[in-house]
Parts: sequence; structure tokens; C-alpha cells
Amino acid sequence: MNGPFQRDCLDILKTRAARGQISRRDFTTGLALLLGSSALGLRGTAAMAQAKELVFVNWGGDAGTAYDEAYGKAFLEATGITVKQDGSGPTEGAIAAQVESGKPAWDIVDVDPFSAEALGKKGMMEPIDYAVVDKGKMREGFGWDHSASSYFYSYIIAYDAAKFKDNPPKTMADFFDVEKYPGKRSMYKWGVGMWEAALLADGVAADALYPLDIKRAHDKLAAFKEHVVAFWGGGSESQSILLNGEASMALIWSTRAKLIEEDSGGDVAFIWDQGLIAPGAMGVLKNNPGGKDAAMQFIASAQEPEKQLVMFRMLGQGPANPAADALLPPEEARYNPVDPANFAVQIPLDMPWYEENYGPALDEYLKIISA
Amino acid sequence: MTARHILLLAPLLLLLAVAYLLPFLGVMQWSVTLPEPGLGQYAAALTDPLVLGVIWRTIRICVMVTVLSVAAAYVMTLIWVRGGPVARVVIELCILIPFWISVLTRAFGWLALLSNKGILNTWLQHLGILSEPLTLVRNEFGVVVGMVHFLIPFAVFPLASSMRAVDERVLMAARSMGASRARIFWQVFVPMTRGGILGAVLLVFVFALGFFITPAILGGGRSVMVAELIYLRIFQSPDWGLGAAISVILMVTVGALLALMLRQVRGADR
Repeated sequence: MNGPFQRDCLDILKTRAARGQISRRDFTTGLALLLGSSALGLRGTAAMAQAKELVFVNWGGDAGTAYDEAYGKAFLEATGITVKQDGSGPTEGAIAAQVESGKPAWDIVDVDPFSAEALGKKGMMEPIDYAVVDKGKMREGFGWDHSASSYFYSYIIAYDAAKFKDNPPKTMADFFDVEKYPGKRSMYKWGVGMWEAALLADGVAADALYPLDIKRAHDKLAAFKEHVVAFWGGGSESQSILLNGEASMALIWSTRAKLIEEDSGGDVAFIWDQGLIAPGAMGVLKNNPGGKDAAMQFIASAQEPEKQLVMFRMLGQGPANPAADALLPPEEARYNPVDPANFAVQIPLDMPWYEENYGPALDEYLKIISA
Repeated sequence: MTARHILLLAPLLLLLAVAYLLPFLGVMQWSVTLPEPGLGQYAAALTDPLVLGVIWRTIRICVMVTVLSVAAAYVMTLIWVRGGPVARVVIELCILIPFWISVLTRAFGWLALLSNKGILNTWLQHLGILSEPLTLVRNEFGVVVGMVHFLIPFAVFPLASSMRAVDERVLMAARSMGASRARIFWQVFVPMTRGGILGAVLLVFVFALGFFITPAILGGGRSVMVAELIYLRIFQSPDWGLGAAISVILMVTVGALLALMLRQVRGADR
């Protein structure tokens, strides 16, 4: 119904008021107009027509603030185009729903590259215009047809440092070894990275992982799952499981690593070894309301290393542009998943495999963990 | 029902039609048209071991939750309606306070209380009663506890109205005929509140079928229930046809149960 629309408009107003672009008085008038008009069922067409803007859809939480800080404000200054943050979560199904409606309200999405490729093949995503977006500002192998590399995070081992101080875990085999490393474990509920972890622990070589032997991974998991206290569905959940001591080891997103280290006062530590690197990307919806060119321009503007460092400092995301790595002092580079030293000991997830196999593999995975 | 009644009801009916009926018809259409026309998605849903496993778990949990919440609510309502003034206030607070707290807060509250390093386990270990913590959350038990706690207030209201309607003179008659307290309760009072019990069962069961947040938080990622599976099919690994088919199967199940219960209730009133 009208809910999301109102939320959007109120958001625009709030953003502008916060930036001092409109006075407090205009803000209240606008608010009254919006609430009044939508109550009568008249949509605020006048307000929409004059707005030159792009809608960037991410996954909520602090991400919106960070994206605005890192990319949005600078883009507005340079081009006069407001980039509005929407935290409603661009899942593959939600993007498809937007495009199928014929009048998408979203322009740019923070999307899994494999989802973007799958959607792109159905004609739902604009191909990335590599004349505008610079492939030279990306790591090799991380530019796709329908999405452009924008950040990195990893699935890494975090462990109870008080308990395993003398002999910290070093490999996925250690993660799956409850005799050497007693205590419960926590893993990711939606499968990604967990298959790789199980196979590495089972003795598969890092360069022979793909195509994943799902059957073998699930056998390993089925035998191990009694030691898993919880399959976490969100970053904060994984964090609280470790901080409460419910698990002595967990596979977590590297973006949480610094927070967990700080919040636990060093009692929970992490390693990069055998971490699984996942790329995040930006994609543009087919027939996006703000126009393809403006959207590509925005993606290109987000490639500057300094801006990506803002994202790293605010959200812990590893920069997509390799030139950013060197700008970090060692005490910060330690948390960068794609820092050359850290990258070297990790394994990137294979996006083509996920594009082909993620859905059915996840079904099997859910069957195993919930059996 | 007179024409005026219908007129007064019209805004509600209109809202239901626009907000629920039309979208649901759309979902029904998806279920027989995506990705290709036919009943293929129903065949797929009803033969897929994951879907069947999830539906079976959902029904099993919902039955357990319904029995436990209605039984607990019955005792609470009895004290609320027929107890002394102090007991009434206590029960009222016990029902209303959780009713006003968000479902998320309550789920996290249960985690704080029942997890391995939670308040209860810590106490029991300090007192020397336990050596190893009990696993009380992040499993099906935790899901049931959280759901029962959430649903008790919903069972209380239909029970209260049927208990208030019990004619005191019937109970007095039973007593004057020399029936024991237990016998009055089981053979006179409970049968007279049968309508309320069925209403409570129905409300709780149907509500429980759609639970999403509580199982996700308290189930430790293990107890995937049907609402979460539908979410997965619609949003995460998009297969709208299958997601829609599962929704329709759920709706039909709920509808059939409703019809069955309504017939029972009518029988009870006669």
C-alpha cells in the first residue's frame, strides 16, 4: 500500500533537513503536506517530479549512514543528484519484484554478484558500462557483466582467545576438531562459505574446492552439527553468541571481527587463515527511474580509494580498489580482508558456482541442519 | 443481520478485500502460472522432502504450542475470572505486560534467561544442581517456550468470555446435588466453556502457523518453520511459483481446520 512510499518521502525530507538544505519550517510544512496529501490518496507528484535523485538500496542498519557518508554526500556535491539510502534489503526476489512491476523505485542495489548475474540473464539488470566504470580500479577477476565490485568481506574463524591462548586454531580442520578445541561452534545459517569450510576440514585442497562436492560437505556437516550451538542468521547474532560464551569458536563475517575484538576486550580473537572471501557489488536495475547513466556515474564515483576507506572504517568492508590497501596503516590493515598479506592466506568464493548451484545446495543444507 | 449492519461493516470488508483478498488471489495465480501454467508447483511442493519436513515440523510445533498455551491460559483465566481480588490483579499484570512488549524483546529476553551462559543455567550451576548447562534455547524446546509465552494472552480472551457466561446457578445446582468440586469442574464447568476452549485453540493454532521471528531467534537456525521457508522461496532463492504454492497449501490447511472447528463449536452450542 502507501507505507513504503510515505517512508521514502519522509526519508527524503529528513535527509534534506539534516543537511541544512531546507529549513526546519519547510520541513514541517513538507511533512504536513505529505501526511495530508497521502491521507487523501493524492500522491505527492509535484515533489517527485522536481527531485533529481538515485535510490541506493542496501541491507539497513548502519549501512545507509555509511554509504551516505562515503559516497552519497560527495556525489551530491559533484553532480547535484541526491542519493537516497533505502535499507529494505535487495534480495534476488525483491529485485525481481521491482523490475516485474514495470515501474521500479530502485536504481542501484548492493547485491551478491551471483544474484546479479542470474537476474541479468533474465534481462532484469543493466549491464555495467565499463566505459564509465573503470575496470582498472578493481581487483582482477572481480568485475562482472551485471555488477561491479564494490567491497569485500570474508567468512573467518573467530575463537575464544582466553581458552585457546596457547594453541590458537589455524585451519578449518581445527574448527571442526572438538577434541583439540573443546566447546560449541556457531555457523552461518544460509550456507555460503560453510560448504567450503567443511570440505577444507575434510582434506580437500584449496585449489581443488570447485566445483564443490556438496554431498561430501553435507556428510561432514551432518556428523558435526551436534556441536553447533546455533546457526546464526545475522552478524549481531554471531557476535552475541561468541561474547556470551555460548560457542568457543564461530565462523563469522570479517566485518564483525574488529567489533568482537573490541567488545570482548581481546577475549575473542580471529584469524584470516583459510578464510573465504566474498565479494559485494553494485548493480543497476533495468529501466531504473533515475536513468542508467546517472547510476553508472555513481558506481564510478564510488571507486575512489579514499571513499572506500570511509566504508572500511565505518563498516569494516574491504576496499574494492586495490589502490586503497596501501593507504591503510598496519594497525588498520590488520582488519582488511583483502590486504595483500591477508588475501594470500584466504580463498575467494567462486561466483559462477554460486550462480549455478546456490539455490539447490541451500535446500540440501537446510535439510541437513534442521533434520 | 440488517442492511444497516452490513453498511457499518462495509469499510472493514472493503479493507479486507483490497488488502488481503486481492493480493492472495494474485499469489494463487502465481502458484499455477509460474514458471509455467499448471499444477507442477503443487506436485513439486508435496513431493519435496524439505517442504514436507518443514510443514510437518510446523504442524508438530504448532500442536504442542496450542495444547500448552490453551492449558496454561485456562488455569490463568480461571483464576482471573473466579479468583480473589489480589489474584486477579496479579493475573491481569501477567497477561497484559507481556502483551505490550514487542515480540523481538521477548525472544531476546528468553535467550538471556535460558541460554547456556544465561541466568537460569548460571544459577543452577552455582547452586551445584547442574554440572553441565541445560540446552534450553537454540532448539525446538526454546521455540515452543517462546511461542507459548507469546500466545497465552490470545487464548485468555476467548476463554474469559466463555467463563464469564457460565451460569452460576448451574454450578450451585450441581453442588446442591452433592457433586464434589473436582466433578463440578470437569463435568459441569469445563463442558460449559467448550466454545471458549475451541475458540482459543483455533486462534492460537492459526496464529502459531505463521510465526517467523520467534523460531528464527530461539531455534538456533535449526527449526525452520513454514513462514520462513515461504520467505526464502519468495525473496532469497526466488522461486515465486513454489513459494506461492506453499502459501496456498498453508491457507487451505488453515481454512479446512477453521471449517472443522466451526462445525465443532456449533455442535457444542446446540
